[in-house]
Amino acid sequence: VTAVRLAERLRAGELSPREAVEWYLGRIEGHSALNAYITVLAEEALAEADAAFSAAERGPLWGVPVAVKDVIDVAGARTTAASEILRGNVAARDAVVVERLRAAGAIVLGKLNLHEFAYGALSTSPHFGPVRNPWNADRVAGGSSGGSGAAAAAGLAAGTLGTDTAGSVRIPAAFCGVTGHRPSTGLVPNDGVVPVSWSFDTVGPIARSAEDCSLLLEAIAPDLVPDSGGDAPRIGLVTSLLEQADPRVAAVVEEAARGLGAEPVAAPVLARAGLIQQLVMLPEAAAAHLPWLRTRLPDYGADVRARLLAGLLLPATSYPTGLRGRRWLEGEVRPLFERFDLLAAPTMPIVPPLIGEDPVELGGERVPYRLTLIPFNSPWSCLGLPVTSVPCGFVDGLPVGLALVGRRGADAAVLGAARAFQQATDWHERRPPGVSEAI
Amino acid sequence: MGTESSLLSALRELARQQGVEPTDEDLEGVLGFLTRILPELEELEALLPPEVTP
Repeated sequence: VTAVRLAERLRAGELSPREAVEWYLGRIEGHSALNAYITVLAEEALAEADAAFSAAERGPLWGVPVAVKDVIDVAGARTTAASEILRGNVAARDAVVVERLRAAGAIVLGKLNLHEFAYGALSTSPHFGPVRNPWNADRVAGGSSGGSGAAAAAGLAAGTLGTDTAGSVRIPAAFCGVTGHRPSTGLVPNDGVVPVSWSFDTVGPIARSAEDCSLLLEAIAPDLVPDSGGDAPRIGLVTSLLEQADPRVAAVVEEAARGLGAEPVAAPVLARAGLIQQLVMLPEAAAAHLPWLRTRLPDYGADVRARLLAGLLLPATSYPTGLRGRRWLEGEVRPLFERFDLLAAPTMPIVPPLIGEDPVELGGERVPYRLTLIPFNSPWSCLGLPVTSVPCGFVDGLPVGLALVGRRGADAAVLGAARAFQQATDWHERRPPGVSEAI
Repeated sequence: MGTESSLLSALRELARQQGVEPTDEDLEGVLGFLTRILPELEELEALLPPEVTP
């Protein structure tokens, strides 16, 4: 059931918050092999459900069980970031987004697995084990918010929060066949969230539908500007990205985008975004981790350690060049958003690879996994733009995601277009094998 | 070989100056990354108009 529908049923008294929590706890136990959760807060969630039942105020998420990526603090619970370094780190207070979820009535079920320190897109932590994709347990769930994507797909929470620095909400949403929204940078506060890169980090929802993502986003982003509605959005399909994708993925995305009335547009300048984002993100991540780089270096997984050391040893000029590049890119992309309200592209150029498969195959070549995702995700996060990834079809039984991108601050318009797409299609209603509907 | 060895030594010293002690394998990875990214950085620097500021 979607979060929106569950909230309606709870308000109508068709079931109690305790019944909802108990159902999800049973579900989490039944699908523990997915390794989506690092910490399940069973007793706490049941106590919150009982307290909610007698609460005087009932917000829009009243009694709705949710879960958050384990870089987001929940008071009294561990925030591990799927790392050895923070394995025993207990948060003293809730992150602001958790405070806001609770204020809207949500109940926190637990903390979701991820790529170590949210600094990678596989969610195969050497310390907490890989998240398995509900569509095929031998494949990755994507990342870094892999547990959030898997939990949303397998119905292990009614809604989830992830974080996105360079694709970490969108990639697992696409790989797990669910909907994810990367908000405009700055719309959602990051207080109480383990940082990757201050310039790009943002918390965002992953759930069954765009409507669910809107419900969650409205709770955590009170400054969200409502969609003014009006004419159907003009949508540009970015052919320069489409051409780089696996042809089978490209065909699925192209058909979906054309169904929305998208017109082809080439935007080769976007190819610069990957480097520009790296020049800013790598030094910021190294700076955020410097105390642990000095004292806990062997405790990082090999891939995360390599990226952090690269950031530490980049020439100092790379950072201002990255900032200048971002400013330049904004100017280059502005005409695109004068011509179009939204841009459409594949969220990822490939379907989820097998766990341990790196490099991966793309265009008949073996390519490092990380290099496949950067061209498709960095353009939007580099510019702080809102992006919703919606399921739009399948290749070999594995889900494919369509990314819809809007102007900065136009989150509601992007989600509105995603919702319109989902009213016309049923890809978001497909369930992984062995995952039943029930509640 | 000699050039690579001296580059690795320079990277090791730069890391040490910041209080970080990477292994040889770590530094070889960083050198590979820098070898790939520095020409791209140079190309971007040349592309950016001088009036564009951070």
